[in-house]
Amino acid sequence: MAKSSAGRLELVDVSLRDGNQSLWGATGLRTAHIAQIAPVMNRVGFRALDFSSSTAMGVSVRTHRENPWDLLRLTRKAMPDTLLQFIGTGFRFISWEKAHPEVMELVYRCLVNAGMDRFVVLDPTHDMDAVRETARIIKAAGGTSGTEVIAALTYTVSAAHDDAFYAGIAARVAACGDIDRAYIKDPAGILTPERARTLIPAVLGSLHGKPLELHAHASLGLSPLTCLAAAELGVRVLQVGCGALGNGTSLPDAEKLVANLRASGHSVDVDDRLLAAVARYFDGVAAAEGLPAGQPREFDAAFMRHQVAGGVMTTLRRQLAELGVEHRFDEVMEEITVVRAELGYPIMVTPFPQMVIGQALANVLSGGARYDQVPDQVIRYVLGSFGKPTMPVDPDVLDRILSRPRARELADEPPPLSVAELRHRFGDRVGDEELLLRFGMPGAEVDAMLAAGPAVTHYNPDAQPLLRLLRELGQRPAVDQLTVDKPGFRLELKGRGAR
Amino acid sequence: MNGRHAGRGRGFQRVLVANRGEIAARVIRTCRRLGIETVLTVSDADAGSRPARLADKTIRIGPAPARASYLNVDAVAAAAVAAGADAIHPGYGFLSENARLARACAAAGVVFIGPDPRTLEATGDKLAAREHAAAAGLPVLPGGHVPPDASARELAGRIGFPVLVKAAGGGGGRGLRVVRDPADLAQAVAVASAEAAAAFGDPRVYLERYVTRGRHVEVQILGDGDRVIHLGDRDCSVQRRYQKLIEEAPAPLVGDAARLRAAAVALGRRLGYRGAGTVEFLVDSGRDAFYFLEVNARIQVEHPVTEKITGLDLVAEQIAIAEGRPLRLSQQDVTFSGHAIECRINAEDPGNGFLPSPGTVTNAVFPADVRVDTHVQAGSAVPPHYDSLLAKVIAHGDSRAAALAALRSALDRCEIDGVTTNLRMHRELLADPEFERGGVDTGYLERWITVGASHG
Repeated sequence: MAKSSAGRLELVDVSLRDGNQSLWGATGLRTAHIAQIAPVMNRVGFRALDFSSSTAMGVSVRTHRENPWDLLRLTRKAMPDTLLQFIGTGFRFISWEKAHPEVMELVYRCLVNAGMDRFVVLDPTHDMDAVRETARIIKAAGGTSGTEVIAALTYTVSAAHDDAFYAGIAARVAACGDIDRAYIKDPAGILTPERARTLIPAVLGSLHGKPLELHAHASLGLSPLTCLAAAELGVRVLQVGCGALGNGTSLPDAEKLVANLRASGHSVDVDDRLLAAVARYFDGVAAAEGLPAGQPREFDAAFMRHQVAGGVMTTLRRQLAELGVEHRFDEVMEEITVVRAELGYPIMVTPFPQMVIGQALANVLSGGARYDQVPDQVIRYVLGSFGKPTMPVDPDVLDRILSRPRARELADEPPPLSVAELRHRFGDRVGDEELLLRFGMPGAEVDAMLAAGPAVTHYNPDAQPLLRLLRELGQRPAVDQLTVDKPGFRLELKGRGAR
Repeated sequence: MNGRHAGRGRGFQRVLVANRGEIAARVIRTCRRLGIETVLTVSDADAGSRPARLADKTIRIGPAPARASYLNVDAVAAAAVAAGADAIHPGYGFLSENARLARACAAAGVVFIGPDPRTLEATGDKLAAREHAAAAGLPVLPGGHVPPDASARELAGRIGFPVLVKAAGGGGGRGLRVVRDPADLAQAVAVASAEAAAAFGDPRVYLERYVTRGRHVEVQILGDGDRVIHLGDRDCSVQRRYQKLIEEAPAPLVGDAARLRAAAVALGRRLGYRGAGTVEFLVDSGRDAFYFLEVNARIQVEHPVTEKITGLDLVAEQIAIAEGRPLRLSQQDVTFSGHAIECRINAEDPGNGFLPSPGTVTNAVFPADVRVDTHVQAGSAVPPHYDSLLAKVIAHGDSRAAALAALRSALDRCEIDGVTTNLRMHRELLADPEFERGGVDTGYLERWITVGASHG
């Protein structure tokens, strides 16, 4: 095959998971929003949806008081033809603490039972032994149902992460029978078309026929072009976002990318009418709920240094606003760059951005010296709880952290609880799904979710303004007259008391 | 891999809705939810109807009389082709169980959303359906075919009077006669046969024992041609001249609902049933026995009560099956929650012999806290050419009492002006202690009407 061949492209839509996380802080979409559009998304022709994560499941409980397992099940029912993806590290569930391997086995079994059939294994340090073990657990959980496992090659720019590094990871993916395919994951949106032209052939060459997908955030405006380059280089699956949940710090806009791919001679087998319907639906949700719609972004060289992904950035802004120190955003960003270097350039992918930002916030906002306060996450990281850092931690910083009494406490931390221990703790009457939620988060949150009852499963964005108006009017007993006056139209409602 | 891939089974993109009224609006609603375009066939009388505005497109198929439009197989099949539809949803009534339409669709490469033509023929012929039911082990009422020119008297004698004379070619009360006196038999057979010939083009009639205190209980089934499951039962005993007025799910006070449901599934299996269907039974309250009545090979008017207690969308399931998918549910997946009751609000005058009341609706208000399936709003025309159903009001509750309370409250808040309706009669019926107890038989409504002449 010629190198610059045109081909048939497939799409993986990330709107419901990464789109929601990158643009709406993971809290924008509720069960109703998803349940309403799922049957339509099933018919667009997406190869898969990036659908859930343990973070998303935690948000369901905490923010929406909705059962995330129910959401998985009802979406599977509404989407019989589309692979539904769960993304995870393989070592934690909702909580940031490392989970017992038995607990992770139970997590994956429950996810498969609830209908998830595509799993991203994302190890932030590219620890391939850990990845292979997680892939094995997932395949075992999937049984004969044909669960797809896809390994993440997380892209970053550093001295260690050259094309040969990624080709080496790809070769190990190729050699692992439990991994079906790989994707290049560019959470910060820093993969340029130029670098793609060397990186993608290197990775494809080592995958030995296993398919490669590209997941490149649009944060710097690069990825719409990088995707076109990838298609030309033989990548056959591209990840996108729809309407308001595309672009910005999410992934490239699906409609525009399809048009661009076709203009480049590729074919994309999706139903354009339904793709547009999905995009307009998310536009409608954004408008009705007051959520920001993803916009095309401009290139920003500073971004290349801190490499903070979209969703994390949104969350950070919200946190600073809540603390009333939004004005110190630039200062915190600068500190993030420094901390990241000191901690050995962890790839800025969950859970490391949260860790780096936590340390940067402590350094900037504590008022004392840098590293006077150190979050447990950082201590665990330098202790090696999340795998071996890709590059060594700055020796001075390492000393300062390890000399803390808390470091010794954490080093002597008891191992995580096994499933049997969890059952003992939470009681035998608790089912597996609830057990895992109680493992991952405070019991009061789970209790509040259960008390809230089943989630609403229908939503009409167009009706929201009217519903809001009616709710407001209903709360004001004093309103007895309503007039809507516009050119050619006059509506007047009078209460019984009005004359 | 499990075969979930782009390009496979993406399903219908455009469906022709070959019906009118509330069921047209109902089918369009599900299609819209699924992202399927709808093209609605309309007669000249319905071009301005609410379903016509809800559909993405409309195609006029003929003048107002149903025979010239909604019952015209060639016009409907041609509309499907002209619309570029992948499939036809025929709703209920009209051509919904018409094997000739199903065959015409197949020939034109359009999917008929319903059972295959052979099943439609087997269920459309009431005698054939009766034989299938007997072969599947279902109890059938003593009875049999009355051959042309043969004396029915011997057969009736064996069955025992009173007997029911029924048309083989169709239902809905046409070609149906109760005979109590053997002297009236020959005349009744002749009249029923003539009526059946006129209504269904098939003069064949058969006799069955007439059960005086029977209840009408039916079981909803779903099949994919391979597997068949049931979605529980419904009671439709509140009827007048075989027209149902109130339906509920589950059927209250049925001794052995499990056997009824199993019987329906057994018949579905024998037929290799594909799609949504209903197996109707006569439950003899006196003898604690049940008998097969017939199969309705389509969506039923009263399907919403089943949807309310199962949480399923039956039209979506019909579409999924028609798209060639295996059943998405196993029997274990079907769970039942609470109780649902439906009232059919008709444009008819209970105070004047239930005379249809066509006209123009000037005001229509329905409560928002119950399900209302309707095609009317202020300004809607109610043409004289079609059945008089205006709206179905469906209430759901944790218990039958709760559903009944919710329905009463809902009906109190319904307003329909411009045409005469049976709304008031429904309010009074729901207040009747006998109905409130549950488990009334099919003679209940006529008795209730006779006793309370003031009800109208």
